[in-house]
Amino acid sequence: MRILHSAAVVFLLAATAFGQQAPPPRVTLQEIADGLTADGSRWLTFGGDYANHRHSPLTQIAPDNVNRLAPLWTFQTNTLGNFETTSLLRDNVLYVTGPQNVAWAIDARTGRQIWRYRRELPSNLTACCGLVNRGFGVLGDKLFMTTLDAHLIALDIKTGTVVWDATMDDYKTGHSSTIAPLVVKDKIIVGAAGGEYGIRAFIDAYDANTGKRAWRFYTVPAPGEPGNETWAGDSWKTGGASVWVTGAYDAEQNLLLYGIGNPGPDYHSDSRKGDNLYSNSLVALDADTGKLRWHYQFTPHDVHDWDATEVPILADLPIGGQTRKVVMFANRNGFYYTLDRTTGKLIVAKPFVVTTWAKEIGADGRPVLLPGHVPNEKGAVTCPDLAGGTNFYPPSFDPATRLFFVNAREVCMTYYAWKPEYQAGERFTGGAGQRVTSPDSPAYGALRALDPVTGERKWEFKFLSPATAGILTTASGLLFSGDADGNLLALDSRNGKLLWRYQMGSPLHGTSPTTYIIDGRQHLLVPSGTTLTAWALPR
Amino acid sequence: MTWSRAVVAVAIGCVSAVSVAAQSAPVKNPFEGNPGAILAGMGNYRQRCADCHGTDARGVRGPDITQVWSSGRSDEGLFKTIRTGVPSSEMPAFAAPRTSDRDIWQMLAYLKTLAAPAAADPPRGNAANGAVVFRAQCAGCHRVGTTGGRLGPDLSRVGSARTRDVLASRIRRGSEDFRAGFEPVTVTPPDGKPIHGVKKNEDLFSVQIMDAGERIQGYEKDKMTAVVNTRKSAMPVFGPDRLSDSDLDDILRYLQTLRGFDPAVKQ
Repeated sequence: MRILHSAAVVFLLAATAFGQQAPPPRVTLQEIADGLTADGSRWLTFGGDYANHRHSPLTQIAPDNVNRLAPLWTFQTNTLGNFETTSLLRDNVLYVTGPQNVAWAIDARTGRQIWRYRRELPSNLTACCGLVNRGFGVLGDKLFMTTLDAHLIALDIKTGTVVWDATMDDYKTGHSSTIAPLVVKDKIIVGAAGGEYGIRAFIDAYDANTGKRAWRFYTVPAPGEPGNETWAGDSWKTGGASVWVTGAYDAEQNLLLYGIGNPGPDYHSDSRKGDNLYSNSLVALDADTGKLRWHYQFTPHDVHDWDATEVPILADLPIGGQTRKVVMFANRNGFYYTLDRTTGKLIVAKPFVVTTWAKEIGADGRPVLLPGHVPNEKGAVTCPDLAGGTNFYPPSFDPATRLFFVNAREVCMTYYAWKPEYQAGERFTGGAGQRVTSPDSPAYGALRALDPVTGERKWEFKFLSPATAGILTTASGLLFSGDADGNLLALDSRNGKLLWRYQMGSPLHGTSPTTYIIDGRQHLLVPSGTTLTAWALPR
Repeated sequence: MTWSRAVVAVAIGCVSAVSVAAQSAPVKNPFEGNPGAILAGMGNYRQRCADCHGTDARGVRGPDITQVWSSGRSDEGLFKTIRTGVPSSEMPAFAAPRTSDRDIWQMLAYLKTLAAPAAADPPRGNAANGAVVFRAQCAGCHRVGTTGGRLGPDLSRVGSARTRDVLASRIRRGSEDFRAGFEPVTVTPPDGKPIHGVKKNEDLFSVQIMDAGERIQGYEKDKMTAVVNTRKSAMPVFGPDRLSDSDLDDILRYLQTLRGFDPAVKQ
């Protein structure tokens, strides 16, 4: 009798609790498509929205109060390596990936860990360019993460346990994956990194429920496929053209837009005569089938390691009396581009840093090359350096002021080349670069605001040395980013004036702050060093 | 005869290289100074190391590795670093059989040519007198072991890291470029009296310096009247009028006898 009675009470309590605290609905495609909303309740995809604006509608933190920001909590990842993640937020919980394939769910109110996931990595891993990860994708009750040993895994959002594990390719041949997955319809879009290891890279789509591969687009075409003729001999087999930065999605056209990495070998290019498609290109793929609709190659036959793995941003802009559907792209080669995203045709191209290798981008969309910029044994000096006029750290776009914000680098380099020998799983670059610095031409960086209609610079904020932080802007007219010396910065996005700063002790690298609302208060979340710190205005 | 001796020497070198892991005594690079090995090592270095460490090994994505010996690393330790890589970093392991012991030693032989003093210099000068002249002329700013100033770089190891010619040139003609941490700077606070020192760190908003009195202190730029970088080194030029040729020889000889400072060894 007593047992029965207490069982009934427990059941009743559970039912009551269940009734009061219904589990949150699963993450829907509509929510992802809606991007960053005015209630600030979520951040569900890499760029905030499919257009990669990285621009929040929130206005609580504003130019006139940003100097009152105060820290709320700091989360220590205790994990060494560059912290390049874009954290996702859903129902007051943060989902964060770190270096070395560690990931966490964190209480966004307090910074306390809810669960931790750690993947055992092979000891003979040769991940090219840092043991990093750029963030989760999310759909339903699953989180999606790429791994350094070239898998795509799905984690249970509530526990961090693996639901499915799909092998993208063999890590022993130099394949890895660091990209934040993009969730489109029922598919998870990812890509292969390892361009410095002579891989033949690809963009893949996997079924969100099962992890089964739905399609693959090789970024280097095989014999018989259009574009293979742009690779001499068998050079396509080791062509690189890796994919490691999340692209954009144009729902209206059902089009994925992804930037593609450099051809291999990076510097010594005798073996790969031709344009080397689709290296250094923006490719537009049908999201259902992975079929190529159009491509635009920024740097045909690149010899400077200028991956076009920057973040494409979509917008509709008034150009020449019409509203044009465009994609905006600040490229590592030093030029800013506005392209028509329905055709891939060039609208505007203008240098946003000192560029010495090309006079201009011609009306046909191809760069007009200047002589003396092919790397060789003796060295050839070219601007920008191999890290580029900008790089993978995300830019932002304010649709109200129509300004494109980019973290620019002014650095030149002596590029060397020598004939490489391909060995599976070994670096395959055929050269090296040496940064040119002297007291008369110091290397420096700057945050720059560009007009995407003309490519003209509207303002800049100069750094002592080139920085690697991404950019977040907000509708209140704020721009958040960081310099190379560990300063977290808030600028007035209309004029580049410094409004607030805080020395984090380690720079933001490869990513930007994010922002959202918890319990009515706008938060600013900053990954830097091995920490994640949340800021808000005092109550 | 010479040929067979060379073969024996290489064979001994290979044996000692193979047994690196088993030995506790430091192993020397069997190919050090061997011109053929240095050339082969250059090829391998450029193919496999240069895009991270730079063609001159002074660092690009990876660190500067020209100072590894002068900072106390041994041939054996460097061999192991290349063989096994650096865990949790981008430095991969160069495993056998793809990378032979010989490949690694050859790369190290080449690397040493980028770092080591020229072996052709015949030793000259009197080290004991050099120590006396050093204390009188240099120790105000430079430290050897536990004595001397801190405003300039510590010279406890410089004689084994730099060639005689480079050192002589620095002393005789001064220097136009500055090592990080020793760039001269003048900070002027609102009270007007300029503070001269060397820059230990800097960002957009602040500068951290060691002043001429060896006080280490940070200053916020917006609270200063001026912060001016000086192009001229604080190191005076020691022409023959200030330092005779024979005293210069003695100082250089003294520096070349130094092998760094080990606090565990009683002075």
